[in-house]
Amino acid sequence: MNTLQVQPVARKVTSVCWLPPRAGQAYTDTELFFVTGSSARHKELVLWTTDNPDFESGSNKLSTEDKSLAKLVSKVTHDGDVHDIAVVSIDVIATASSYGTISIYDIQSDSLKLRESVTAHRFTNGEPAVSTALSVQPVNSSDADIASCGEDGKIAYVPLTRLDALQAYEVDSTVVTGVCWPTPSQVAASTRAGQIKIFDRRSPAEVSAVFVDTSNSYSFECIASHPSQSFRLATGADTGAVLLWDIRNPKKPATEVFGVHESNVWKVRFHPTDSSKIVSCSDDASIAITQWVSDKPTATKDVRYLSGFFNALSIGCFDVCPFTRASLLVAGSDSGNILMERSASTDFSLF
Amino acid sequence: MPRKRAAKFVICRDTEAVTHLEPGLFPAGRQSEWSEQNRTLTFSIHPLWNQIAIAVAGKQPTEALPKRVPVYEQDQTVHICGVPGVPDSRLPFVNDTHAVFASLQEVMSKEPVVGMDGLLQMSSMYREAMLRQIRVLQEASETTEFIAGEVETFHAMHAVWHLLEIIYLTSNLPGLSTSIVPHFMEWLNFNFPAPLAEDGERILDSGGGLALNGELWAYVRKLALRGHVSVLANTLERVAPVKGLSAHAARWARDIAGIARDMPLGSSEETAGSFNARWRRWNEELQNAAAAIASLQPSEDEALEALYAVVDVMRGNADAVAEEGKSWQDVLGAMLLYSEPTALADRLPSLAGAVVEQYHITELSELDRGLIALLNHELPEFLVLCNRIDPWLAAHMADLMDHISILDMCRGAFAVDPREHYLVALSELYIGHENLWRVALDYLGLSGTRAARCVMAEYAMRVPLESDAKAQQVLRVCEKYGLKSAIDRIHRQLGRRQWQRGRLGAAIAHFAVVSDRRSIGLICDQLWDQYLASGALEYGPVIDGVMAAGLRHERLRFLTRYRDFYESYRARMLAEAGAILLSILVEEIAPPYAVADLLVDAIPLLEGDELVFSADQTFELMRCAEALRQSPFPTGRSVDEGEMSIFSVACGRNLARSFVTI
Repeated sequence: MNTLQVQPVARKVTSVCWLPPRAGQAYTDTELFFVTGSSARHKELVLWTTDNPDFESGSNKLSTEDKSLAKLVSKVTHDGDVHDIAVVSIDVIATASSYGTISIYDIQSDSLKLRESVTAHRFTNGEPAVSTALSVQPVNSSDADIASCGEDGKIAYVPLTRLDALQAYEVDSTVVTGVCWPTPSQVAASTRAGQIKIFDRRSPAEVSAVFVDTSNSYSFECIASHPSQSFRLATGADTGAVLLWDIRNPKKPATEVFGVHESNVWKVRFHPTDSSKIVSCSDDASIAITQWVSDKPTATKDVRYLSGFFNALSIGCFDVCPFTRASLLVAGSDSGNILMERSASTDFSLF
Repeated sequence: MPRKRAAKFVICRDTEAVTHLEPGLFPAGRQSEWSEQNRTLTFSIHPLWNQIAIAVAGKQPTEALPKRVPVYEQDQTVHICGVPGVPDSRLPFVNDTHAVFASLQEVMSKEPVVGMDGLLQMSSMYREAMLRQIRVLQEASETTEFIAGEVETFHAMHAVWHLLEIIYLTSNLPGLSTSIVPHFMEWLNFNFPAPLAEDGERILDSGGGLALNGELWAYVRKLALRGHVSVLANTLERVAPVKGLSAHAARWARDIAGIARDMPLGSSEETAGSFNARWRRWNEELQNAAAAIASLQPSEDEALEALYAVVDVMRGNADAVAEEGKSWQDVLGAMLLYSEPTALADRLPSLAGAVVEQYHITELSELDRGLIALLNHELPEFLVLCNRIDPWLAAHMADLMDHISILDMCRGAFAVDPREHYLVALSELYIGHENLWRVALDYLGLSGTRAARCVMAEYAMRVPLESDAKAQQVLRVCEKYGLKSAIDRIHRQLGRRQWQRGRLGAAIAHFAVVSDRRSIGLICDQLWDQYLASGALEYGPVIDGVMAAGLRHERLRFLTRYRDFYESYRARMLAEAGAILLSILVEEIAPPYAVADLLVDAIPLLEGDELVFSADQTFELMRCAEALRQSPFPTGRSVDEGEMSIFSVACGRNLARSFVTI
């Protein structure tokens, strides 16, 4: 088990997201920025900055005794708990709220400012429903769609420039826990009932395909798509398992199960610079980096774990910085900590 | 003669809190008049947080009043009153020490049992967390009264914790010197530092006027009292050549510096006899120096007086120590260092008693009394005083004492188990903070007692479940600690909530976990009623989700089979539809109230151009209809006799066709 560096922030950090480099190229940015969202007593968004490990010298190990991991730049109150944050562009982010709202924030002069928000999720009795996750359509367009899923069983599509043109479709009778865009025209969602549902953006009300692992009764907490192979998806389950899906054959999808955690997997991602690895965080207070592409059989797949001694509670969110040569991961936990792992090594391998 | 029962410590937790609402809910001094206008106060206590909501309420409904009563702004104001809980500034400390606490319970539950060095390591982590918190508080941009109070509290907590550590852990480590003295002096100088290093730097930077510096000799005396012999020697050597000092004072300053440097220090490699011999020789040097300096007195030389005092203290003169010491800690430290340098921990009570009896009780703070109780091994009183310093301290101290196996010595003095009591009290404090519900539940769960588990279950059932993810976390905690009743209640609560929100699939999923077949049946009945009312079968996605999870229930099976019939019928696959419909009736999958509807559904199949039902199958349908008519139990739905008549006629015609076809 490798140790994460810990910085107490006295906030329950429930979402975190790296921002693109300001100058456009990571190697010219000596500082990197990320945004955290918190919940419970302190519902706010906080903009942080940290040193770019590509510019560090010497041992390149930050000592938490004499230096903070990150410095607070600015913060702004958020309407509701922050359940997810997604980067829209270099200075625009979108957030998902416990009040069912999707909000757009501008980052101006190192401060966060609310531009607009819309209520995307409600129950039939009018009560707001939690927006559990959101994902931005991977297109180079200012009018990209934001897909948001919620506890009302709906997926909402919100054009970035016209939030009032929101369209919501009920897709499941249970909670939709995660959403992602395998392609610009395809949306994949994970459900509490243990299903993956695929939708075509052009026919959002109709389910294109449904996948379920019949060998086990899972409840999915999150979903992620491979950065280049749209047929590969990863889901995190309530049992602590990470499932890797190959959905090329819709009638018989191939599933590989990695039992990497001991409790609910809150977030899963393919590593942005090495997609042969899946990164996941869990309620068991650890982050796992699983090497899923290997010559070895499944039972002996390499898994590296990260945790912090002074972080005993759930790690609910993380993000791997895709803009640096060195490995840089930031996470947030219910212990009120920001956790970080950085390595100045230029070797992409994490093992 | 009856034995007098020893009084037990009853930890009293009843504290009266009085608060005045601003603005008030009724005019001051006019409460009677206010009450006569149909007004009273109502309140509600939050199930978890230490909050109470107070508002004005009417004694009777407005409609029942003979005349209209005017409504004021105060009537529509709700006051939320709360007891101050955990401040946000403590959150990092709470989370850090929670991690240490959890690790400590884990290592102590495993084999082989952790020894003193492991416990010492854990204890050090607690102290590091306290020191870290002090640093963070001191670095705050604004020093308020609150922050100053917090710093003082954490200093007190650290002093208490450190003293217990050296008495029960450090001094019991194998392989080190067993004398308590060096550890006690380390404790004293770390927690009650004197003299301050910055004072020393300031004084010694006086340059040529050093000998005339009014603070110099008080500083030197303090160095001697606290056993800073190296600094003392260096200081005296710097002072000796300066101008303004008499020749005698200069000489004795140099000599005493040399004596101070020669002070024997014990080590684990040296025998007690050898050390004692060295100590006696050193003490003789001090006696000779004292006699020589005394022979030069009386004089008005402040320096010589101070040097005599230094020597007097260092040779262990109790009166000199008592005169120089500003606090009982000073006196006790000096007595240990210079009179009993090889004292063991068991000498502390008698020495401390002798020192403290010189002080009046009113001169002692709560911290002082706690430290003295610890030195005297009065552990019950020590714990009670720890609680007065801070509830965190009492809870973790009781836990550590339990692991060190010293809590058992004083358990009998309490009416309840002190470890359990203080941990539960701490959890009650934490549960009042929205960020700390899980920490609170962990403390209750890790306390390991049945009573704490009961409290934990009650709290777990009342944690606000603002989101599905949080509900999953609460359920996970309940599973970890085996709180089956709480899991059951939470799932039912979530199921009812989803039901009210119209999320029927999610509701069924929750009820299925607790095998609440009745609620699942009622939801299925609701789905059926919705279908009958709208005519459109829309419950497919609802049951698909729960069936995919492997749930089996007779009502769900009925709805699933009926949906198969419906889709076959819509696709004009009439034979298949008829077969499915018949199987539902024959296998008695359908609930009693739906049988009539199914028989009515059979009418178009009976009357259609295609012969769907054979003679035998038609007889089966007729048998079901007859059973429905003769059913002794009320079905709860009225049977439309007109439709049943049409059904009977259709059966007759179908029989005729089937005979002809044969």
